[in-house]
Amino acid sequence: MPCVGKDEVRRHREMTWMRVDRYFTGEGDDTQAVHQPMMCQHCANAPCETVCPVLATVHSTDGLNQQIYNRCVGTRYCANNCPYKTRRFNWFDYPRADELQNLALNPDVTVRSRGVMEKCSMCVQRIQEAKAEAARTGVPLVDGDIRTACQQSCPADAITFGDLHDTESAAAGLARGPRAYSILTELNVDPGVTYLADVRNRPQHASGERHGQ
Amino acid sequence: MDSDHANERVIDGDKSLSDVTHDIFSPLETRGSGRWWAGFLLAVSALLLGLVAVGYQIVTGIGTWGLNRTVGWAFDITNFVFWVGIGHAGTLISAVLLLFRQKWRTSINRAAEAMTIFAVMCAGIFPLIHMGRPWLAHWVFPYPNPRGSLWVNWRSPLLWDVFAIGTYFTISLLFWYVGLIPDLATARDRAKGLRRHVLRFFALGWTGSARTWSRYEIACVLLAALATPLVVSVHSVVSADFATAVIPGWHATLFPPYFVIGAVFSGFAMVLTLMLVARKVMHFEEYITERHVGAMCKILVFTGTIVGLAYMTEIFTAWYSASAYEQFLFKNRAMGPMAWAFWIMVSCNVISPQLLWLRKVRTNLGLVFVLSLVINVGMWFERFVIIVTSLTRDFLPSAWAGYTPTSIEIATLIGSFGLFFTAFLLFCRFVPMIAASEIKSVLLRRRAGDDRPLAAGETQPPADADARRAA
Amino acid sequence: MSRRIHVALYTSEEKLLGALRASRKAGLTVLDVMSPYPIHGVDDLVGIPRSRLPAACLAGGLLGLGLALWFQYWTSSVDWPIDVGGKPWNSLPAFAPVAFEMTILFAGLATIFGLLLRSGMLPGRSGVIRDLRVTDDRFALVVTRPDAAVTDTELAQLWRDTGAVEHRDIVEREGDR
Ligand code: SF4
Repeated sequence: MPCVGKDEVRRHREMTWMRVDRYFTGEGDDTQAVHQPMMCQHCANAPCETVCPVLATVHSTDGLNQQIYNRCVGTRYCANNCPYKTRRFNWFDYPRADELQNLALNPDVTVRSRGVMEKCSMCVQRIQEAKAEAARTGVPLVDGDIRTACQQSCPADAITFGDLHDTESAAAGLARGPRAYSILTELNVDPGVTYLADVRNRPQHASGERHGQ
Repeated sequence: MDSDHANERVIDGDKSLSDVTHDIFSPLETRGSGRWWAGFLLAVSALLLGLVAVGYQIVTGIGTWGLNRTVGWAFDITNFVFWVGIGHAGTLISAVLLLFRQKWRTSINRAAEAMTIFAVMCAGIFPLIHMGRPWLAHWVFPYPNPRGSLWVNWRSPLLWDVFAIGTYFTISLLFWYVGLIPDLATARDRAKGLRRHVLRFFALGWTGSARTWSRYEIACVLLAALATPLVVSVHSVVSADFATAVIPGWHATLFPPYFVIGAVFSGFAMVLTLMLVARKVMHFEEYITERHVGAMCKILVFTGTIVGLAYMTEIFTAWYSASAYEQFLFKNRAMGPMAWAFWIMVSCNVISPQLLWLRKVRTNLGLVFVLSLVINVGMWFERFVIIVTSLTRDFLPSAWAGYTPTSIEIATLIGSFGLFFTAFLLFCRFVPMIAASEIKSVLLRRRAGDDRPLAAGETQPPADADARRAA
Repeated sequence: MSRRIHVALYTSEEKLLGALRASRKAGLTVLDVMSPYPIHGVDDLVGIPRSRLPAACLAGGLLGLGLALWFQYWTSSVDWPIDVGGKPWNSLPAFAPVAFEMTILFAGLATIFGLLLRSGMLPGRSGVIRDLRVTDDRFALVVTRPDAAVTDTELAQLWRDTGAVEHRDIVEREGDR
């Protein structure tokens, strides 16, 4: 992911695939921030997919919303139509901006050229690698074999990745649980990401509406 | 059917057939007036400015525009919708008014159709240059390819646009050209030397034979009958770019009729602007009369009022839907950070055309000219408001962003006007701007013949001639 | 085989129509009429059959509609079905706009090319132009005498009576037309 510099960030052109939204509850001294990581929700009825004229963003058989960089012509219609606004556009030729920085690029991830859209891929390179490995060795994949980068790096272990079709998986279990909810479900985009409401034990005098997290 | 309108005067002055030929064709055989050259140089400079801006943008990237992660479209698609809308009046004048046998259209249909073609050209540029990688634009066409064949996404409104705009451009161009053939033949038969050879090529061997005329008239009615639903479908498809999206302010079933009427409104305003200039510069006051201006003004009041009704319907729907996002959107449009654009839109499009109810205003050509410009500005802002205010603040507040255009975007807009006026001025100089053969067919004196002068006060052709024509 | 044809020029639609009737009554065969604008009512007098362009237009439209529907269906459901936004392979309602546009396009092209081909109008064709002024303010009547049924003097009289401003005789060889 390129670092675009503060001028570009000021122009709302940051390239992060995952942002952390903050919502506030309470007032005055009692103000509390609740955090909600927001990335591509891999909607089953993805509104971004229907609008792409050239089939550059489509669904995979795994249920991922894929962005096909080398097919993308850059109409940005998908980003407009994403209700979560999680898509990021390559406004300039970022990868070539700094030769040295290029050396630090992840060799498993495609380098995106100018004029194409990108977004959270749910670490598709890890999924594909694990699937290929499983096919080669003949050992079936089990829950937890694939960990996304965000999951790996979260110290609070707030992110769980897994196959929702596998009813035994940890992710499927959490998604069935009483705390599970999705965002903007009224749009019927059927997001693939489920959030868990944060249940806190707060002192009686705490006022204000609670926003789940 | 024809006789109903036979005594309706289309043009002023007591013209004979050869007067019409002379008036329309002789300006084409000169070197062009000083005013024409001044206008042409201005238009070409604007076009060059636009070319530089687009060149710079394509070399450097879409980042040269003011867009951001939240606002993915702004000037680009606003200009696109604006220009497509401008184009629609030409088709309406040539096709719908032909089907309704409104004879006053004959003075302006040629120029209005030319306007359609140039406006669609200007419009077509924007979806192309708004792409991040415009050099791959041919991927929107479904052609067999070594990638599978990987076809296209027929469900995308942008793809519908490709087909709608492509069809619209093709049919408009051919319709215009077919209408032009008899006049090209007239120009050919007046010309000598190289000019004659060139015109001979384009006139396709037109002889004026009754057999050809018979077929020709049927073809024109058929094309008009095809162009009418086409023009409605084109702006409906353009509106589907927004109506099929999920974004509040875009996602509205009202959009197709709302966009079509808006297109008619803006298109007629542009026709009026151009006609008022052209009749002065090209000395066509007797052909484009105050009655023509008056008729177009009435269309403007009518369509402007419907546009106002559409704005109110949108707001009512938002309130009635009880959807928090929709309601927020309209509050934000009228009172948020971009409220200025909303109020420019309302005052230019809804309030200003109401002045045209007054006869005094309609007959004051200077004022009509100013109002037509105001409406053009207002309709540009309408598209801007729909596209940009809806995008800036949608569902999740963390994603909200503003939008400020850059000089490159403004230069591109100016460039599109440059292209439009360059093409239009070239058209005025090289193509008969008024459909001479059609004017001749509605001339009151045509049956009397050149050798018999029209008696004073005589406006009605002999009744028996009418009866024959009606047969 | 060659034939003699006669061209008379008039200054108005009304005179032309009068001459047209008179020459038919006199037993001349009307070959054609040339005018700067379409004259309603000459079709029957000249004996022009009804144009089949509407049929060409309809056929073009149906072809366009059929091709567009079939092609959209084939590319998205048969050749390479792809999951796009959870929509069915055959998203028929979404195929309607393109099908409509193709209907119009094909119908329009069929009409225009039908017109041009049937009228022999192609770029660079010169056509048989009877008088340069028929695209300005003259109306030309082109007739021929079947088996010399009408004498030269009768013909001259006819031209005079109908108010022809000019007339001339042309010998046309086969293949000229
Ligand atoms: S979250 Fe946005 S980008 Fe991701 S699938 Fe849904 S609409 Fe597409």
